[in-house]
Amino acid sequence: MKKSSEAIIEEFRHITENTHEYAKSLQGKGRLLAGYMCTHVPEEILYAAGIIPVRILSAHESQAMTRSYIHETYCTFSHDCAYQGLQHNYDYLDLIVHSSSCIHMGEAFNVWVRFAGFQHKSFLITYPHIIHTKHASEIMVESYGEFKQFIEEFAKKSITDDDIERAIKVYNQTRRLLKRLWEFLRRGNPPVAGREVAAVTLAAQVMDKQECNQMLEQLIQRLEAEPGKEPSGVRLMVTGGACDDMRIFDLIENLNYSTNLIFTDSCTAARYFWFEVPEDRPDKLEAIAEGYISRIPCPAKDNVPGTGEKKRFRFIRQFIEDYKPDGVVFVYQRFCSPQSMDIVALKPILDMLGIPWTELELDTTVPISLFGTQLEALVEIIKRVAP
Amino acid sequence: MNKGKFLAGLDAGHVNTKAVIMREQEILGYCTVPTGFDVVAAAQTALNDASDNAGISRGELGGIVATGIFNDMIKVPPLNATGTVPEYMADAKGALFLNKNSRTVIDVGGNIHKAVCYDQKGDLVDVVQNDKCADGLGIFYTTMAKALGLSEQEMTELALKSTKNLSIAIQCALSAESDAIDLMCQGTDIADVADAVSKFIAERVADMCTYMSLTKEIVVAGGLAKSQAIVKHLQSLIRQDVSVLTHPEYVGAIGAVIGYGGVK
Amino acid sequence: MGSTWSVLAPLKGLGDDVYIIGGEPHAASTAGTFPEEAREDIAAAEIAGLGFHSCSYLKLFVGEVIRDKIGITDGTIKEGYPRPHLIWTTHLCNLHSKWYQEVSRLLGGVPLYPIDMIGGGDAEKDPKIVKYVCDQMEEGIDWLERVTGREFSDELFIKAARNEIKVLVLWGNICALNMHAPAPLDERRLIALFPPAMVDRTTDEAVQLYEALLEEVQHMVETGQSVVPYQRFRIVYFGLAHTYGHPEIARILRDAGAEIVASVYTFGTAGNFRGFVNGKWSWEPIDPAWVDELDLSSRRKALSALAKIVLGWPTWQGVRSYWALEKMARAMVAEFNADGLLLAPTRSCETDFRNGYIAMQRIFKNEIPTVEYDTETVDVRKMDIPGSKRKTELFVHLMEAHKKGGA
Repeated sequence: MKKSSEAIIEEFRHITENTHEYAKSLQGKGRLLAGYMCTHVPEEILYAAGIIPVRILSAHESQAMTRSYIHETYCTFSHDCAYQGLQHNYDYLDLIVHSSSCIHMGEAFNVWVRFAGFQHKSFLITYPHIIHTKHASEIMVESYGEFKQFIEEFAKKSITDDDIERAIKVYNQTRRLLKRLWEFLRRGNPPVAGREVAAVTLAAQVMDKQECNQMLEQLIQRLEAEPGKEPSGVRLMVTGGACDDMRIFDLIENLNYSTNLIFTDSCTAARYFWFEVPEDRPDKLEAIAEGYISRIPCPAKDNVPGTGEKKRFRFIRQFIEDYKPDGVVFVYQRFCSPQSMDIVALKPILDMLGIPWTELELDTTVPISLFGTQLEALVEIIKRVAP
Repeated sequence: MNKGKFLAGLDAGHVNTKAVIMREQEILGYCTVPTGFDVVAAAQTALNDASDNAGISRGELGGIVATGIFNDMIKVPPLNATGTVPEYMADAKGALFLNKNSRTVIDVGGNIHKAVCYDQKGDLVDVVQNDKCADGLGIFYTTMAKALGLSEQEMTELALKSTKNLSIAIQCALSAESDAIDLMCQGTDIADVADAVSKFIAERVADMCTYMSLTKEIVVAGGLAKSQAIVKHLQSLIRQDVSVLTHPEYVGAIGAVIGYGGVK
Repeated sequence: MGSTWSVLAPLKGLGDDVYIIGGEPHAASTAGTFPEEAREDIAAAEIAGLGFHSCSYLKLFVGEVIRDKIGITDGTIKEGYPRPHLIWTTHLCNLHSKWYQEVSRLLGGVPLYPIDMIGGGDAEKDPKIVKYVCDQMEEGIDWLERVTGREFSDELFIKAARNEIKVLVLWGNICALNMHAPAPLDERRLIALFPPAMVDRTTDEAVQLYEALLEEVQHMVETGQSVVPYQRFRIVYFGLAHTYGHPEIARILRDAGAEIVASVYTFGTAGNFRGFVNGKWSWEPIDPAWVDELDLSSRRKALSALAKIVLGWPTWQGVRSYWALEKMARAMVAEFNADGLLLAPTRSCETDFRNGYIAMQRIFKNEIPTVEYDTETVDVRKMDIPGSKRKTELFVHLMEAHKKGGA
C-alpha cells in the first residue's frame, strides 16, 4: 500500500528528531560518515568517495558547559554544536569536515578538534570569505583538490571524475526535488504546510541523498495528486541564519491567526539547496566551485568588490516576487554578527516594498509566549496594512 | 591585635553585608544585613547586631577585618577597619577553618561566584572567578523568588519537588529571567520553574569550575549554598561530591579574621 | 578609507596626496578623545538598526556617518562627514568588510574594494593563499585606476611597499627588545608608540620614526634602562588596549610591580617577527637589513612580499587558527620569561582579540598563573571596569602565590 504524504513527512520528521539513530543505521550498512557544520563543505566530493555527509545540528539543550571553551558572545548554534562534540554525541562519525566560514562556527569546529577527540579525524578546507570573484573560484578549486586528495587517503580509494559526476547528479536531484517541494508553497492553498517542508529540508541535510531522493519523489508525487489544504492565511517568509529548531516554524503556523510559512531563506533551508552544480563539465572541481559560488550567499561571505553589493538581496527580492509574502520574519541566532549587518540594510528594502517585518532572536530555548506575541503583532500589522 | 580579644570579620558584598564576631577559634555571634545603597550603614548595623548576638559591646572589639567587594569603603572612617583580605583568600581561610579536610571552596554569592583551591594552610593555590555574563546569580535568584511569590527557602523546597527537567536560557540572568517568565505565562508548574532557575545557576557555576582541577574535598559557600536544589544540581554537573559548609554565607567574614592572622 | 589591517601600499601608487582614514585607529582614538561623542555615535548606530552585539568600532564609525560629524584627534568635532573617494579594505572577521558595506550604503554608494586575506595559521607559507591575495590586489590596482582616473605609479607603490614592510619589521624589532630584563618599554608606551605603524606605515616619516625609536630602545637595553625599572612580575597580555579601564588595570599592575612586557595586540597588529619556523613560533625579530635586500623589482613581486608580510602578522595568523594562537602564546611566555598570562577577550570583537581566549585560559591555567577578564573595544556600556579590576587584583595575588610556591 502506498504511503500517504503525511506518513512520508512523518518519516522525514522522525529523522530530524533522531539524527543519531539514522546516521548509525547508515554506518550499520557499512557506510562511512563525515559530519559537517556549515554548508560550504563540498559534499559531492565526500559522496563520490562513498562517504555520507551528515550535517551536525544542535540538540537544543540549554547548557553552560561550552562557556569555558568558547566566549559567551558566540552564537547559540555554535555553542550547541560545540556541546554536541564535548558530550561525545557524535563520536560515531568517521570524520568531520569544515570549510572556513564564520568565526563562530569555526570555533565550534575547533572545540571538536582540540577537546572532543577529533584531532586526527578532521579536515579544514581553506575557503574564501569573499566569494564573488574569479580568484575565489580558483582558490576553491585548489582547496577542493587538496580535500579530494585527503579523502582519497582517508577512504583508501581513488575518486574518479565519474564518481564525482555521479555525486553531482545525485545532489542536484536532491536540490531540484527540494525546490519543487518549496514551490508548492507558492500556491494559494498548498497541499503541504511550511513547517512540514522545513522539516523535510532539515532531514535532507543528514540523509544519504539517494534514499532522500526516493522519499522526496514519492512525497512530491503524492502531493501533486492531493488537493490543497484550506486557503492560506497570512503568508510569512522567514529570512535569516541557521535555524534547525522546528519549534519556531511550528509556532509560526500555530498562532491565534491563520498563518502560513511560505519560504525560508536560511542555511538550514533554501541556502542549502537553491542552486545546482553544472553537470557534465570536464573539470569537476571547477564545476563544484561554480555551483557553490552561485548559491544564495551566506552573509559572512557576501560582498561584491567594487560595489559592495550584497548579492543575497537579489535572491530575497526574487523570492518575494515569486512567493508573495505578506510579512517577513527575521530569524537569527543571538550574537550572529553578519546577519545583523544584512538586516539593517534589508529592512529599508522591505519598507519600500511595503512588507511589514519582525525579528526573532534565537537562543536554545524558545520563549513561546514572547515570540508568539511578536508574531501575532506582525499579523495584526499586516491585517491593518492589507486587511 | 591581642590574642584572646574579640575580633570582627566583615564581608561587604553586593547584596548582603555579613559580620562575625570571633574570639580565637570560637564564633560568638554573626549577622547578615542587606547592603542596600549604604554599605557603611549596613556594616555598622551588621557589626552592632553581631556584637549583640555575641553578648559584647562594639567597644570591646579588638579590631575589624574586612573583605568583600566593598572592603575599600570599610577601611576608612567611621569603620576604620584594621585590615583587609581579598575575598578569595578569605574564602580559602574560612573554608579551611570550617572544614579542615577541604581543599576547594566554591563560593556562590550575590553577584560573583568563584572557585578557590588552597593548601593545608589555606594559602592560595588557584582561583577562578565567573565571566561577566554570569554575574548576578544571587541577585537573580532573589528576584525570581519574589517574582514567583516565594521565599528563597520555599523556592528550593519546591524545586526539589520538580518532576520535569526544564531549561531556561543560559546566556545570562536576564535571558534566564525572561524565559522563566515565559514559562510562567505558559502555565508551567511553579516547581518546575523553580527547578529550572536552580539548575541555571548551578550550570553557570559548574561551567566555571571546569577551568581548574578541583582538589578534594570540595565545599560550597555563599548565600546560595543554602539552596539544596542548587547544590544538588551542582554536584551532579561537576560529577563530584560536595558538602555545604555550616554558616556558608559567613565563610568570607570568618576567613577575613583568620586570614589577617587574628586566630592562630 | 578602510581597515588598517589591509595592505596599504597600493593606495600610495595613486600619488603623494592619498590620505587614509583607518577604521580601527579612528574608532579607538575617537573613543579615547571624545568618550561622550563615542557613546552618542554608538547609540546612533544602534538606533539606526545595527545589532547590539556588533563590533563597537564598527558602530562608532558608522555612527559618525549617521550623525554626519567626525571627531579628529586634535580635539575638534567636524560637522559634515567627509565622504571618501573610495574604500580599500580587507575582510578579517565576519563583519570586517561588511562594516564598509554599511558606510558605503549610508553615503549613497562609495566604491568599495575588499580584499579577502583568508588568513590564519601560517597562511603566508601557503602559495595558493599568497597567490589569491596577490591576484585580488592586482585586480584591485586596476580598479583603483578606473575609479580614480589616475595612472598607477609602480615607482611610488614599490617605495611605499618597502616602507610598509620596513616599518612592520622595525616595530617587531622594538617589541622583541622587551625580552630583556628589565623590559625597556611598558605596555602604555607600546600602545602610544605603535599607532603610526597602524595608521600609515607607507611613508618615509614612519620609517624614520621607527628607526630612531629602535636605536633609542636598543640604547636603553645596552644601558639597562627601562621606563619602569621595578618589574617584579613579567606579564604576557593577550587582548586589546581597551580604551576604557586600561589605565585602571595598568595602575593595579604597576602598584604590584607587575608589568605587561609582551602583548599580542601591540606587538602583532603592526609588527612582524620570525614567526613559524619548523612548526614552532618565535618572537625573535627579523633583521631590518632583510627588507633593504628584498627583491621588489616588479609590481607582482612587491605585492607578493606585502601579502606575505601582512599574512605573517601574529594577529592575522591567530585570527582563525587556534593552534597558531596557542603556539604564539606559548612562545611569548617562554621567550619573554613571563610570570603570568593575562587574557582579555573583547566582547564585541570577533578576531583574535576574543577568538580562542577562553580555550587559552583552559589550556594555560595549569601551567602558569592565568586569568581572563572581559573587556570591550570602545563601548563603555559593555566594559565592566569594576569586574576587570577585581580580576586583575586576583591575577596579581595568583602570581604572588605562585612565586611563593603555592600555585
